[in-house]
Amino acid sequence: MYNPYSLQGKTILVAGASSGIGREVAIECSKMGALVHLIARREDKLNETLSLMEKGEHQIHVCDITDDAQLDELVSSLPVIDGFSNCVGVAKVMFVKFLNKKVLDEVLNTNAISPISLTQKLVRKKKFSKKSSIVFTSSLSGVYTVHYGDSLNATSKGAINAFAKSAALDLGAQGIRVNCVNPGVVATEAAFAGTILTEEEMEEKQKYFPLRRFGKPSDIAFAIIYLLSDASTWITGVNMPIDGGYTIL
Amino acid sequence: MYNPYSLQGKTILVTGASSGIGQSVAIECSKMGASVVITGRNVARLKETFDMLEGASHTQIPSDLSDYKEIQNLVDVCPKIDGVSHNAGIAKIIPVKFISQENLEEILGTNAFGPILLTQLLVRKKKINNKGSIVFTSSLSGVYCVHYGESMYAASKGAISGFAKGAALELAAQGIRVNCVNPSIIQTNIFKNEGEIISDEQMQEKINNYPLKRLGVTTDVSWAHVFFLSDASSWITGINLPIDGGYILI
Repeated sequence: MYNPYSLQGKTILVAGASSGIGREVAIECSKMGALVHLIARREDKLNETLSLMEKGEHQIHVCDITDDAQLDELVSSLPVIDGFSNCVGVAKVMFVKFLNKKVLDEVLNTNAISPISLTQKLVRKKKFSKKSSIVFTSSLSGVYTVHYGDSLNATSKGAINAFAKSAALDLGAQGIRVNCVNPGVVATEAAFAGTILTEEEMEEKQKYFPLRRFGKPSDIAFAIIYLLSDASTWITGVNMPIDGGYTIL
Repeated sequence: MYNPYSLQGKTILVTGASSGIGQSVAIECSKMGASVVITGRNVARLKETFDMLEGASHTQIPSDLSDYKEIQNLVDVCPKIDGVSHNAGIAKIIPVKFISQENLEEILGTNAFGPILLTQLLVRKKKINNKGSIVFTSSLSGVYCVHYGESMYAASKGAISGFAKGAALELAAQGIRVNCVNPSIIQTNIFKNEGEIISDEQMQEKINNYPLKRLGVTTDVSWAHVFFLSDASSWITGINLPIDGGYILI
């Protein structure tokens, strides 16, 4: 069956595959024919993702990507890959006057420095095949919009977004493409864990989205797969807002 | 076979289908399972596109979208649709001091007024199903960058990108999404028409300005159209997607 978006024959690395958007990306990549290598810290959650995937030679790697030694070990154990989807991320709401070095380190390490390190090591160890594609899950936050108490997230997502553009340029000559997807509010467990909003307030919040709903993990996964596939081989260095129209208002 | 990008069961109207990007969109939509309604000015070349479509459930309706009567006629005979891909467009390089009302009307008429009025009438006549998707072929030009002599072309593409956002907001209540793709130089006849201005050597030189070291091909753009027309993008509306081999990075 004709399908320019197919990932048949491709090996895709998904970081943050234990939950939320990353889990969905791993599942959808497997359905689109890819062999998937999954990274996350929690083995039980990785196995849970694996059990939801289309059967294949997929492999899980238990790894805390904020630990440089673990990262080195991970990268040397990986085969040559055709795509990398980074979905590792934490979100913390904290007002500017309460920021401290510790939380800054934590959020920037997880959301920006570690994915950048991982990318660097993959490139250095020649783990990307010619015509590879890298997709970072950035955010509206820090690139298009911010919310109150969002400065940590915005800083880290702005950083990864800027890195993606520079990497797109540096790696363009090797045919490696680098893009970002920039989701609005996606209804995942992590996004709503610790929320102080009532159900009514949530309902109210959805009205800020012209399409009148929050995102689903698959909304983001399908865009990531488009950018991983050969259907997008002339697209690099872009941001793709996926936000139900939030930023047009 | 599992495919979230499939257009099976959808009817898609494709303008500018007699050549270039529009022709490629029509062909790719048909390959992805859509019933395609194609329109274009050149009857003979529209027929050529028609013969290239996969499957049998397609329609061709020749029309000149710079003429409002022909837009009305197209909308009247057009069946209910799930998507529109707007590609009708012309490119003209004229420095600011040589702009005339005549060429301004010609370029804005074809690149902006035509697609806007067609959209208006399709909405008004309830031809677009709920959850429909509208995609405009805009440009880098006028939205992300410009080149010398491009001011009128940039104005027309800036207009269509602006309109797309407004339409995205208003039509969201019906679940209709509106997006733009913004290609840089795609190897089609629209640029060959500018032969006196861009020589083959200059073209080669241009390629070096692209981080991915090539110019675009029509499928680079048509596959973005298919993505936006499909249900895989159902939470994306009001965006501009650059398709440019990394050109605007530098």
